[in-house]
Amino acid sequence: MSDVIASANDLVKVYGEGPTAVRALDGIDVDLVRGELTAVMGPSGSGKSTFMHCLAGLDRPTSGSVVVDGAEVSRWSERRLTHLRRTRVGFVFQSYNLVPTLTALENITLPLDIARRPVDRQHLDLVVRTLGLGDRLDHKPSELSGGQQQRVACARALIARPAVVFADEPTGNLDSASSAEVLGFLRRSVDELGQSVVMVTHDPTSAGFAHRVLFLADGRLVGELRDPTPATVLEQLGAAGR
Amino acid sequence: MNRVAVRAIRAHLVRFCLSVLAVALGVAFVAGTFALRTMLGSTFADIIATTTLGDAYVRGADDAGGAAGPGAGTHNRVPLSLVGPIEQVDGVAAALPDLQGPVVLVGADGTAVQSTQAPSFAFAYDSRDRAVRLVAGHPPRGPGEVVVEQTTLDASGLAVGDDTTLVVGGELRPVRVVGVAEIGAALAGATVVFVDRATAEAAFAPDGTAVSIAVNAEPGVTEQQLADRLGPVLRQDATPGAPPAVAITGDEMRAEATESIEEVLGFVTTFLLVFAGVSLFVGAFIIANTFAMWVRQRTRELALLRAVGASPLQVFGSIVLQAALVGVVGAVLGVAGGLGLVVLLRRVMASFGMDLTGRVPLDAFTVVVSVLLGTLVSVAAAAVPARRAALVPPVDALRDEVTLPERSLVRRALVGATLLLVGAAAISRALLRPEADGADRMLGLGACAVVLGVLGVAPVVARGALTALGAPLLVLRPVGRLARGNVVRHPRRTANTAGALMIGMALVGASAVIAATAQASTRAIVTREASTDFILRVAPAGTVPAQAVADVRALPDVRAADAFATAAVRVAQGDDGSFTVTGVDPEAIGRSVRTTEVQGSFRDALARGDVAVQRTTARDEGWRVGDELTLTGTGEPRSVRIGAVIDSPAFGVPLVAPQAVLDELVPADQQQVTTVFVTAVPGTDLEELRGELTTTVLPYVVVTVMDPEQFVSDLAEQVDRVLVILYALLGLSVVIAVLGIVNTLALSVIERTREIGLLRAVGLGRVQLGSTITVESVLTAVFGTAVGLVVGVALAATLPTVFADRGLRTLAVPWGSLLVMLALAVVVGVLAAVWPAIRAARLPVLLAVSAE
Repeated sequence: MSDVIASANDLVKVYGEGPTAVRALDGIDVDLVRGELTAVMGPSGSGKSTFMHCLAGLDRPTSGSVVVDGAEVSRWSERRLTHLRRTRVGFVFQSYNLVPTLTALENITLPLDIARRPVDRQHLDLVVRTLGLGDRLDHKPSELSGGQQQRVACARALIARPAVVFADEPTGNLDSASSAEVLGFLRRSVDELGQSVVMVTHDPTSAGFAHRVLFLADGRLVGELRDPTPATVLEQLGAAGR
Repeated sequence: MNRVAVRAIRAHLVRFCLSVLAVALGVAFVAGTFALRTMLGSTFADIIATTTLGDAYVRGADDAGGAAGPGAGTHNRVPLSLVGPIEQVDGVAAALPDLQGPVVLVGADGTAVQSTQAPSFAFAYDSRDRAVRLVAGHPPRGPGEVVVEQTTLDASGLAVGDDTTLVVGGELRPVRVVGVAEIGAALAGATVVFVDRATAEAAFAPDGTAVSIAVNAEPGVTEQQLADRLGPVLRQDATPGAPPAVAITGDEMRAEATESIEEVLGFVTTFLLVFAGVSLFVGAFIIANTFAMWVRQRTRELALLRAVGASPLQVFGSIVLQAALVGVVGAVLGVAGGLGLVVLLRRVMASFGMDLTGRVPLDAFTVVVSVLLGTLVSVAAAAVPARRAALVPPVDALRDEVTLPERSLVRRALVGATLLLVGAAAISRALLRPEADGADRMLGLGACAVVLGVLGVAPVVARGALTALGAPLLVLRPVGRLARGNVVRHPRRTANTAGALMIGMALVGASAVIAATAQASTRAIVTREASTDFILRVAPAGTVPAQAVADVRALPDVRAADAFATAAVRVAQGDDGSFTVTGVDPEAIGRSVRTTEVQGSFRDALARGDVAVQRTTARDEGWRVGDELTLTGTGEPRSVRIGAVIDSPAFGVPLVAPQAVLDELVPADQQQVTTVFVTAVPGTDLEELRGELTTTVLPYVVVTVMDPEQFVSDLAEQVDRVLVILYALLGLSVVIAVLGIVNTLALSVIERTREIGLLRAVGLGRVQLGSTITVESVLTAVFGTAVGLVVGVALAATLPTVFADRGLRTLAVPWGSLLVMLALAVVVGVLAAVWPAIRAARLPVLLAVSAE
């Protein structure tokens, strides 16, 4: 087991062709460390979402390679990518995280259902207890608050014990109290459960929960910060902006 | 706003294609029905125009009975003795009595020349007849010579000079084909032979009368002048005591003939239009669903339009305009498709030997009505969702996620439940008092109310029913749970989608039950009422030749051969209507039929020369035993007494008279004998007798020998044949319903793009996704089919109580067929899901995740 959970090597992603082509990612080289919460920051259009989509096997890079949990996935077939997402990757999106027809509990166990794997009751109890969702499990997503929905999404991402969880603006739609809850939980999952998490955000406060922050601008890696606080993040952003 | 509407259709062409297809199919049915009617109408109009060429016609004055069947024998016959005096009238070129009757022509292969259901006639040949043109050979010069019409000759495989057999006037006669004639019209498959005048008179006018006499004028004499000049002669030569014959112009005669054909075609048209209506109704469901979902998906865009200043009316107008475009395009395609169907049908008919007119059956009426209908149905179906769309508040455009609240189902459920109750009440009344007037109408209205009521409550029922139906599928995790969640999520949409299938399947289920009940009832009736060893039968349009009956009676092993002859008579009492009468030998009662007697002795009544009436007829007409009825056949009216009241679905006619009485009313050659019951001498080897009978009737070609079991299955086969036609007609509404499922699934895949992306992101495979959509489709199809079959079977199950009088007495539910239909629903569901499932599986995950 190496200490690198995911790495990008000279990652390039071009949308479109000819004069209208956009280089969303322009040669990114980075290793993400196992057992860390890594935040990816940058202004709109910096390519941070594309970077995460490529890392997670949701999008194919134009050139360069992506290695997730020791496997070079950038040239994999759709079938193998599906299997990768099912077994080794968890997701939390900004919104629309839950299947509206399923209850909270059914949403949490969905990845196991899809993979037809048995539910580990102990692990489920631990996750549910940690997230404080015990009394909401029979509710449909429409009956949950925004913060509760994102916590269910986090539980779903963790239930299958994936190698890495990708979170795309997980607190983008939440108020500050709910944000703190969700981010606190993601950090605890790293510290207490040994999970690896990669999170895209544009909010310095959110980035302050990370072990390490990567700064992207115009498709390039322009900076990095270890053990950040909101103040140091802001400072770095200001420097990148100049 | 109009530009927005048109652009929206262009941008979502695929989305509207299925709606257009649904309209097109419904309209194709309507247009096809009208076109078929026009084509049939013009075929028969051509026949009339090219065969009814006389300048004037002489016929009996009064309405009268005659051969059974619509439009036949509504006037007294005229004596042939009038021909001489008429020809003496100034300005008359020729007087041609209408001497025609049923014949059987044996073809080159030894079987009867006859195409399905079409009649077979012989006419007297007369070179002065303007309708007939001899194209080869010479006219028939004696009883052994015939001239054959061209298409009949082609179908028979005979040629001029060939010897064959003709069954005419109930006798076998060897004849030689001596000529070929042409009639200037497509004959719709009829077999036509010409015989010499003397033969025709002997066979078709043994009493010296004809239906009418055609009169040709000399040049320069108008039709009206001719008719006027004939009048005095007819009055002068009238039989004393009888009303004189009257002369009418050729135009009047042609108009009357056309009118009676229109009447028959009108019935056929109504029958077909009912099915077209069902298809359109089903199609309307699809259109309504499409627009409802479209509005749902476009809420934000519509709110934006409202925010930039569009009025609710403009939004409403733009959606209705789109619906109108869908309707017009669908209707135009439908008209083209309908015409294509009819042209195809004509080809098929021609290949069966049924020539129909070659004219393209397109008229302005068909086009206008079809296009209007398609457009109106589309607009009406879209109006409700359009109204909702118009009321979207502009502020919704600013919200991130817009969802229209699911409207409450309470109002719809209440209306549905009310209809259901009213329908059930009406049906109960019909069931409790099946004898009452209008019980059948009560049942019909009740059935309609029940079907509409079920459509109304379907969304409420859907949630529970689908949850239960999907329960066994939960083992397919996660596919079963996801699919069940999806169909239960929008109960209204699922119910509407299934509703289209439900209507078709209710009709299919009802037809299946009615057919099975009819077959079981027939079997029960034959078992109960017929005590015969063998039955002689002919095809529906034919008659058992009298000589064949005589030959069978002459067989030593035959104890009796009882022929059942039918004809129509008028009854001058009560309704003063036309009734079908069966004539039977009184001895036959108890010998070959056992009949339930309600009052009086059936056999004694007939032996006394009285008639027996059916219980239901007696009730409807208020007739009692002892009443005198005045019956008018083709000749003199005759008074008879009612001697008994019977309850016999086997006879199935209102009046039964002794054969001798029927012969007095209607000449034997105008009676139709479709069935002869043969009883063997006790102790006879039946297999041997069967052989003898078969050999005896073989020369008559059209007669079949059956035992009671074969007779029952032959009748059952006829029911099956009708059932196949019904299924074919209902098949179209089922096809439209399947398109509806495809449409709903495809649209809901578009609607669920994000959800599908999410599922794919957390690892749902393409096959799993496809399976989910397939299971949704199957659940919807099975729900619609199951509810439809339950409703159809339940409604049809009430028929034996209400229609016991018409012979439907033994309820039979074909469970096997119903199960097959349920299994078919699964197949239908799988097929309907193929395209939407492929579409969903092809959605790129990322597009779905980041979709707006």
